[in-house]
Amino acid sequence: MREFQLFCIAAVFLVSGPAFSETITLGASVQITGPLANTGRYYRDGYEFAIEKINKKGGIRAGNVNYKLALKLLDNQSDVNLSVRQYVQLLTEDKVNFLLGPYASNFALATSSVSEKYQVPMIQGGGASDQIFSRGYKYIFGTLPVASEYFSSNIAAMDTLKPKPEKVALLFADDAFDVSVADGTRNILTKSGFKLVLDKRYASNSSDFNSLLSLIKDSQPDAILVAGHETEVLNFIRQAKSLNVSPKFYSFTVGVPTEDFRKALGKDGDYAFGMTSWLPSAALKDEYFGNGEAFAKEYADRFGYDPDYHAASAVADVEAFAKAIEAAGTLDPGKVRDAIAHVSFDSLYGRIQFSAAGQISLPQIMIQVQNGKLVPIYGQKGLINSPLYPMPSWDHR
Amino acid sequence: MVLLWQVLANGILLGGLYALMALGLALVWGVLNIVNLAHGAFIMLGAYVCYYLFALVHVDPFLALPAVMVVLFVLGYTLQRHVLNLIIRAPMFNTLLVTFGFEVVLTNLAQMIFSADFRTVNPGYAGANFNLLGATIPLARILAFTTGLSLTAGLWFFLLKARLGRAIRATAQNLIAARLYGVETRTIYAITFGLGAALAGAAGDLYGLVSQINPYIGGSLTAKSFAICIIGGLQNPLGVVVGGIFLGIVESLTALYLGPTYTDVASFGILVLVLVLRPTGLLGRTA
Repeated sequence: MREFQLFCIAAVFLVSGPAFSETITLGASVQITGPLANTGRYYRDGYEFAIEKINKKGGIRAGNVNYKLALKLLDNQSDVNLSVRQYVQLLTEDKVNFLLGPYASNFALATSSVSEKYQVPMIQGGGASDQIFSRGYKYIFGTLPVASEYFSSNIAAMDTLKPKPEKVALLFADDAFDVSVADGTRNILTKSGFKLVLDKRYASNSSDFNSLLSLIKDSQPDAILVAGHETEVLNFIRQAKSLNVSPKFYSFTVGVPTEDFRKALGKDGDYAFGMTSWLPSAALKDEYFGNGEAFAKEYADRFGYDPDYHAASAVADVEAFAKAIEAAGTLDPGKVRDAIAHVSFDSLYGRIQFSAAGQISLPQIMIQVQNGKLVPIYGQKGLINSPLYPMPSWDHR
Repeated sequence: MVLLWQVLANGILLGGLYALMALGLALVWGVLNIVNLAHGAFIMLGAYVCYYLFALVHVDPFLALPAVMVVLFVLGYTLQRHVLNLIIRAPMFNTLLVTFGFEVVLTNLAQMIFSADFRTVNPGYAGANFNLLGATIPLARILAFTTGLSLTAGLWFFLLKARLGRAIRATAQNLIAARLYGVETRTIYAITFGLGAALAGAAGDLYGLVSQINPYIGGSLTAKSFAICIIGGLQNPLGVVVGGIFLGIVESLTALYLGPTYTDVASFGILVLVLVLRPTGLLGRTA
């Protein structure tokens, strides 16, 4: 019996082989079930896919050791408090080496306190709110662009439209991310000389927008900017149609780039503007996936749905760890943290380089749904494609 | 003035849908003394049945209504007959736990089977509207409103006049007397729970017309239905209609005058007020 045990132990050593002598585990608590599962899946799939690719390329070499990457993924059931507990568990019980983030700003806001307390770096691609990065934390890094600038490309584009929209309505949900977006947008709007005729905060997860839409109809804005969640945006557009609220222009922080949005709305999704920090372009070179376009294709084949910027951002998080650990040459959390602060590389998501506060800077590209297809309209260098503007009223579509 | 009238109209129409949502919960609560925490999950399932009938076989949501109700009736009947009846005499806490369990299981099954993708039921007329004294009235909402009211009226007559309906009321009012008169209470319980689920299904069917569907809509709908039942009272279906429309109007006016962030504050604030001032509901008779 004892010999058999020894044999087994020897066999395990032989089979596991010399290819990787050690494993680096990245821990994450993501919304796999619950109301945010729809977007949470981008992070689950993005993290897994990136880790798999990096391992296929030979893993990570730090110091003189070859490391394999592994993922410890927990389902936080779309519950912030559970997510915080899970990050503590990941560090104290599961002893993961580093942390990847959850989806959504309020989650990143709460869970980044765990990484700060235990002084283990977390790179997250799910939270953009300025609040996350304004507390002087040293161990949190983010790969989404700054929330307060989400609408900047849209407002720059609005300036060039003819006839120029004058009166603007701003609607936003009452959570960390959307409040940050609204604060920033308000500033840019006033600076650019637009007139804010309606500025309303609504409850997150609202399903009824009829009163708000009636208010909009009453104040007759030319353009409506909405910072909310995808479920709210879907209801907003459908109810706008049923109340015949037809501004010349409307734009949404979320939803528009996703395939799900266009499927759920069909023709009613047309003319909606939005923004994305990422489009699957071949110009975005990547060490592990080739380029952005190749990644999008491989991802869609593998998971059965198109990736959007959430997925690309998740991949960039894992890649940033790979680069930083290689540069640090050690697994010491403090040294890896310093290496993350200095990484600078091109990825399928764009240039990854963190500011002193810990957030990257990426331009938002304004997009529009035209005949069921996503079309890039306005980027850093100006007009890319011509927008369909003004939006025809609902009864003339 | 037009704005106020428009917002009032929105509130009344919203209230009609609310009433239909709460109707099944009130029925089950009143007769079986079970607060069915899976009620919202039934609404969600009804919405999905309607969605698949519409997306795959192109059945209009209003024509699909009977089919949706039958499917949900069978589900509700089975759950009561084979699970809830076993613990019907247990303290209320046990039934709460079991229905909470249903909610979790149904929601997670729904995500596994239907995925977390957002769905909408979008027939050609879903965005149609007409003008009534200056207010824009969405066609789908007024249809949903009238369907909700008709189902409520139907339920009321059924409980009042039909033999089965009277047996249900008898069971609710005096269990021992009903049994002495030969009412088969276990069957009555199962039928009542089935009816409650069928009404939830009907609400779900109409919900998909005005809102998006995903596996997680149930929780907040249960909470809203619960509030409406308390506000309206459990005495008769009319109370639920009054409660629903009252809540719809309050929410709409809150959104207009206080701001849309405060709609939930208003509706649950009213819930607390009703519990303090009129514990039997707006239409309930005090003992």
